[in-house]
Amino acid sequence: MLLTALVFIPLVGALLLAFFPKERVNAIRGFALVVSLIPAVLVALIWQQMDFSQPGMQLITQAQWIPSLGIQYKLGVDGISFPLLAVSALVLPLSVLASYTITHRVKEFFLWMLVLQTAIYGVFTALDYFLFFIFFEASLVPMYFIIGIWGGPRKEYASLKFFIYTLLGSAIMLVGILALYLGSGLRTFDVMVLAEQANLSPTLQWWIFLAFFAGFAVKVPIFPFHTWLPDAHVEAPTGGSMILAGILLKTGTYGFFRFMLPTFPDAAQAFSPVLALLGVIGIIYGALAAMAQKDLKKMVAYSSISHMGYVILGAAAMTPMSLNGAMFVNISHGLISPLLFFVVASVIYDRTHTRMMDQMSGLFTKIPVAASVTAFAAFANLGLPGMAGFPGEFFTFVGSFPVFTTLVVLAAALGLVTTAGYHLWMMQRVLMGQPSGDALPDISARELVVAAPLMVCIVLLGILPGIALRLFNEPIAVLAARLGGM
Amino acid sequence: MPVDGSLGLILPEIVLAAAGMVVLAAGLTWRQSRLPGVLAILGIAASAAVLVNRVWGQTAEIWSGTVMVDGYANLFKAIFLAVAAMTVLVSLDYVHRNRLPAGEFYLLLLLATVGMMFMTGSLNLLTIYLGLECLSLASYSLSGMLRKSPRSTEAALKYILIGAVSSGIVLFGMSLLFGVAGSTHLRDIAQALAHNGSLAPVLVAGMMFLIAGLGVKMAAVPFHMWAPDVYHGSPAPVAAFLITASEAAAFGAALRIFLVGLPALADEWRTVFIVLAVISMTVGNITAILQTNMRRMLAYSAVAQAGYIMVGLAVASDRAVSAMLYYLMGYAFMTIGAFAVVILLGRQHPSEEISDFKGLGQRAPFFALALTIFLLSLIGIPPTAGFFGKFYLIQAAVGADLTWLAVVMMINSIISIPYYWGVVRTMYLREADDKAPLPAPAGLRWAAVIGVLGTLALGLFPDTFVQIVSAVQVVPAWISMAF
Repeated sequence: MLLTALVFIPLVGALLLAFFPKERVNAIRGFALVVSLIPAVLVALIWQQMDFSQPGMQLITQAQWIPSLGIQYKLGVDGISFPLLAVSALVLPLSVLASYTITHRVKEFFLWMLVLQTAIYGVFTALDYFLFFIFFEASLVPMYFIIGIWGGPRKEYASLKFFIYTLLGSAIMLVGILALYLGSGLRTFDVMVLAEQANLSPTLQWWIFLAFFAGFAVKVPIFPFHTWLPDAHVEAPTGGSMILAGILLKTGTYGFFRFMLPTFPDAAQAFSPVLALLGVIGIIYGALAAMAQKDLKKMVAYSSISHMGYVILGAAAMTPMSLNGAMFVNISHGLISPLLFFVVASVIYDRTHTRMMDQMSGLFTKIPVAASVTAFAAFANLGLPGMAGFPGEFFTFVGSFPVFTTLVVLAAALGLVTTAGYHLWMMQRVLMGQPSGDALPDISARELVVAAPLMVCIVLLGILPGIALRLFNEPIAVLAARLGGM
Repeated sequence: MPVDGSLGLILPEIVLAAAGMVVLAAGLTWRQSRLPGVLAILGIAASAAVLVNRVWGQTAEIWSGTVMVDGYANLFKAIFLAVAAMTVLVSLDYVHRNRLPAGEFYLLLLLATVGMMFMTGSLNLLTIYLGLECLSLASYSLSGMLRKSPRSTEAALKYILIGAVSSGIVLFGMSLLFGVAGSTHLRDIAQALAHNGSLAPVLVAGMMFLIAGLGVKMAAVPFHMWAPDVYHGSPAPVAAFLITASEAAAFGAALRIFLVGLPALADEWRTVFIVLAVISMTVGNITAILQTNMRRMLAYSAVAQAGYIMVGLAVASDRAVSAMLYYLMGYAFMTIGAFAVVILLGRQHPSEEISDFKGLGQRAPFFALALTIFLLSLIGIPPTAGFFGKFYLIQAAVGADLTWLAVVMMINSIISIPYYWGVVRTMYLREADDKAPLPAPAGLRWAAVIGVLGTLALGLFPDTFVQIVSAVQVVPAWISMAF
């Protein structure tokens, strides 16, 4: 019941919002914010009810939906999905609050934002492939509109590219799902049953793994399927970027942990060197590309590609520690990247009206508080110990080192240094130096309300990573054992 | 006149035809009134009521085997009545605004429906042919109803020329079958072929003529040349009607003719249908991408959809037949719904270019959302009718070792994404020059609501509908027992 409410309350909110008169902008915003806060309360309740010492699915809601095809309405949550639900419940209301600056077609915007929330909570809780796929696709349409209608100058190009890439990826994944359904002979779409009982021939397993890979690799995005991301991020409105980087990318990595690794362990193992290589290329390539950017938002976008590389590397190494590290990066990046996008694309851009780094300088002098928040986010993103970015990367490296020694050394040497480099260089150019131009107003109370919860969580997880590790330790141990626990 | 109650079995058709006469009289008396349309709806409702109360669940062949009433025929009758009702809904405002002769318009619509009901309600080639002619003659006149529009006249002319030739071809094919079997009844033809053993070339020729003639009505490539012009030029509600009901009737009749009458030639016609299916969906989809006019785009999309449905005919298993029937139901809802939106827009933009749809998301939010759902369903995105329609067809194809055909279908679905989605993009991402809300007549609103409900109901609860369609048999039990 709790999960059903979590998934569908935003949708009900969207339906109610449809009856609001267009001109009542304040009422629309306020209602959207209140509706998106309800899931936060529900997630807190779920946290209380869950037993994290159990690796299995909990709070399962199950009902027959289309019995003749073995399709069920089945929701559940475990230690792997719960942290992502928690991050979503935090980031989604904040991104609604961050979108208060939207003035064009306001009602439609918040309507799509609420529909998107249903899709996101659905993706992280669905335990039936058919149901999952509906939510997975449903997350695409609102995001397409959010980028395409409220985006920057090249919004049409960016939204179409985003749409085509992800839709093509998920279309191939759908073929994989159908092949899994027909090939397993179990006549069920149940995720857990298929993971445990599907007896697939190695060849079929391999092909289905690749089909799933197409769907999730585009979402993550894994190099070389990443080219939609910089465009989409740069053109998306701030609220959209926050959700895209903070949550939607995680639906891709979640796919690895929930579907691909448990269901196709043999194929995953055979494929893991390639996966690790792609992950490391992502880390290094993303960092180098970020360093080359003049556009602040584009730099943050490429840094996302770099960070998602850690998750892929950790998932490919398949040791308990690397998997834990990958999960942790998932969470920390889900907190840090929305904060970074918010300060860069909203707080700074709304004041300077530029995102070009060479056109701004001395922000520490002009808007000290906003600049400090930016510096905080940058340090968190480069993985400063004491903040949430550090433990995940550390675990990933340590966990992957015995398996992919050369690659890890390479990633550590090039990736870490470059990552630190472009962040520091950015701060030097943007925050320090001689202030120029007119005086600017400092960060507003609303903006501080968006930033503060993220900052608190980032510090908390940096100092006490155990808070998060405790959540997914058990299911990750089971997963690692299933993968052979190298 | 028989008094054994057999007349009662075709009471739905009789009621419908009688309603047509009433509508005509009303139209002659009150020329500029909406009364004929309302009467037409009432007539369809009365016919549906008779169908459900008196005929549903009955199985009988009456009048020396010229008319057949069974679950299959009744299901198609229900589909045709639903399509006719939705067509009248989208016509109410259109007929009035374009000053079409209301009485004639609705009369022809109802007569076309009667024709279709006979096409699928018989195992006798002659009755099937008469039904086909009744449908065709009514549709020729309907497509030329916009007398002042050169495009409409061109459409009617093209349709009548190609239609007349195709009728002749169908009739010729039937005559060849009659020549071999000595009967026009499909059961006798099947028995004659089964005992004959050797398959004379003349049989294969007859089969090919039937496929070609019915292929024209299905708008399958290469018999589709008339479709874009007719669907583009004729009055929009007529296009909606032809694109759904007429196509469904052709498939309904084809299933009966080939499965009941020509099982001996199954290998031959299955091969032909596989080829037709592949080229129809491929040509339809690729040509649709190039269209800038909404109705022409929908016309080519109809060609492609006919290709998908034909996969069921090519597989021809029980499961494939159910899939086809399910698909035809869903296709009717989504296509007429889509036409409701096109007609709404056509009130202000008679050219109906895809670019005219810009800003519809703001000008008519409900209709834009409805059209989005219909287009997603036409692509085949879950949870819509279009997804399960394709899913069942794919399942049937895989089950018949035609996995490659299923793959071709999936690739085609992906090819179709750009042109369907292009309309959605135009509706929401482009701003309209004139942002004033579009006023929507009640008929269009209802048609769109019914379309959305039907599309989603079929997609969310497919089992309910699959149970209905899998309960009917193309080949009546007493015929399959005879072998």
